[in-house]
Amino acid sequence: MKTNFKKIAKDGILTNNPTLKLVLGTCPTLALTTMAMNGIGMGAAVTFVLICSNVLISLLRKIIPNQVRIPAFVLIIATFVTIVRLLLDKLLPDIYESLGLYLPLIVVNCIILARAESFASKNPILASAADGLFMGLGFTLALTLMGAVRELLGSGAIFGVKLWDFQIGFFAQSAGAFFTYGIFIALFALISNLIEKKKKQKTLAVNEIGAEV
Amino acid sequence: MADKIYKFSSSPHVRAPRTTRQIMIHVCIALMPACIMGVVLFGLKALLLLVLSLVSAILSEVVYLLIAKQKLNDIIKGFDFTSCVTGLLIGLSIGVQTPWYVPILASMFAIIVVKMIFGGTGKNLVNPAVTGRVFAFMSFTSVMASGWIAPTIGSLVGGVTLNPTTGATTLTDIFTNGTLPTLSNLDLFLGTGLSGCIGETCKLALIIGGIYLAVMGIINIGYPIIYIAVAGLFTVALNGFNFAYFLPSILSGGLILGAIFMATDYTTTPNTTLGNVIYFVALGLVTAGLRQATGIEVVSFVILLMNLFVPLIDKFVINKPFGYKKVKKVKGA
Repeated sequence: MKTNFKKIAKDGILTNNPTLKLVLGTCPTLALTTMAMNGIGMGAAVTFVLICSNVLISLLRKIIPNQVRIPAFVLIIATFVTIVRLLLDKLLPDIYESLGLYLPLIVVNCIILARAESFASKNPILASAADGLFMGLGFTLALTLMGAVRELLGSGAIFGVKLWDFQIGFFAQSAGAFFTYGIFIALFALISNLIEKKKKQKTLAVNEIGAEV
Repeated sequence: MADKIYKFSSSPHVRAPRTTRQIMIHVCIALMPACIMGVVLFGLKALLLLVLSLVSAILSEVVYLLIAKQKLNDIIKGFDFTSCVTGLLIGLSIGVQTPWYVPILASMFAIIVVKMIFGGTGKNLVNPAVTGRVFAFMSFTSVMASGWIAPTIGSLVGGVTLNPTTGATTLTDIFTNGTLPTLSNLDLFLGTGLSGCIGETCKLALIIGGIYLAVMGIINIGYPIIYIAVAGLFTVALNGFNFAYFLPSILSGGLILGAIFMATDYTTTPNTTLGNVIYFVALGLVTAGLRQATGIEVVSFVILLMNLFVPLIDKFVINKPFGYKKVKKVKGA
């Protein structure tokens, strides 16, 4: 079976973007997007766990009995989350500090469990690794963009660099998180609908030309 | 005739000569005394803030409708002055010390996010003006909640002679320090020498506006009175039944402004009489309780909170249909 990597990549970042399309992992999305840097840190951690757990689950997919698959998945995910925590604590204590509670909570992050359940347990290793990578990238992109917008409006800075003093405190608070998240989901849906419409028109045009020929 | 589109509105399909536009113009007129007194007490800066919030509220609505591909003629024809009321209320509920961009952003948030995105006039979940004020308060807490300026009657004539007070407003006196305010009740009533938001200081002007609305039949004056009385009495009860707290607590802060003009918004009040009574009593209790607990002005937050309970109240308090008999439960059926 030939793996369609292009489709996996498109799925992870656009058509099935975990944050903006599937609305998974909302807890870290809402809590950590106060700064763009948080998005990158959290995204990297999640991507790492996602790739590793996807690969391992894909390897073990024929061994794990169907009845106990969820505990088995959680065990595998928890192993990698522990590795990430210990590594971050030692190497990047600043990011470890700012992610706080949300780092151990990756264990119960819906994105990772959902990909394990719906993709890695049914697909070969390479495809699962690619799925983990692109789902993680989609998550990272969404979190970083939201974080950048909220940081820019809420504290007048971007990636920790202060730009101006004008601050709209609303965006730095949780109400602003929900507001920004909603606007992002709406904009994402709008853009993907537009792209789809254009594509449909293109295929229609191609079909018409084909019919004429 | 096939291309003719019939427009349906939700029930009741009662024809009345009064339109939304007329009601809102009446509300605007009722707000005028408060606006005038605000300008008289606080000077030209207050006028500037009021005009800014009013104009930005109207402009945001028009621009939103233009983006939504409506024709300018239709917009002008269908303009129903609700955005004027929202803009004026936002201008009235901010302090004169706030910078010029605060009312603009608050009005834009109120109209675009709270009203237009949810479907326009009558479809909003919460009161736009209150939410706009809360948005401004959360966003610019440092300038909205401190540096209050106490007005003097001559401030309009004498130019810029305003002195920022040290931030101890009447509410802080009552609820944080537990002492009665130094100003007399008459000063609180007329707003002279009292620091606060542009529209909330002169209670006389607000009450005149409220009476005008009641006489024109636009609001039921009973409801704001329930709100104010419950809030005052609950404050008295919380302070060991000391009735000296009654008048200062209802005459300070934005309670009267909120009770008359913000809490009575048609879209965000329950539909039944009993529901309204529950709603306004709850408003009073929560306002007094939270004021006591936090020591800051909470009227706008409480109205926002209670607005969210309105659908719940409407769900449980239903008018009995005419001629309806309760169905008896049959045992063992």
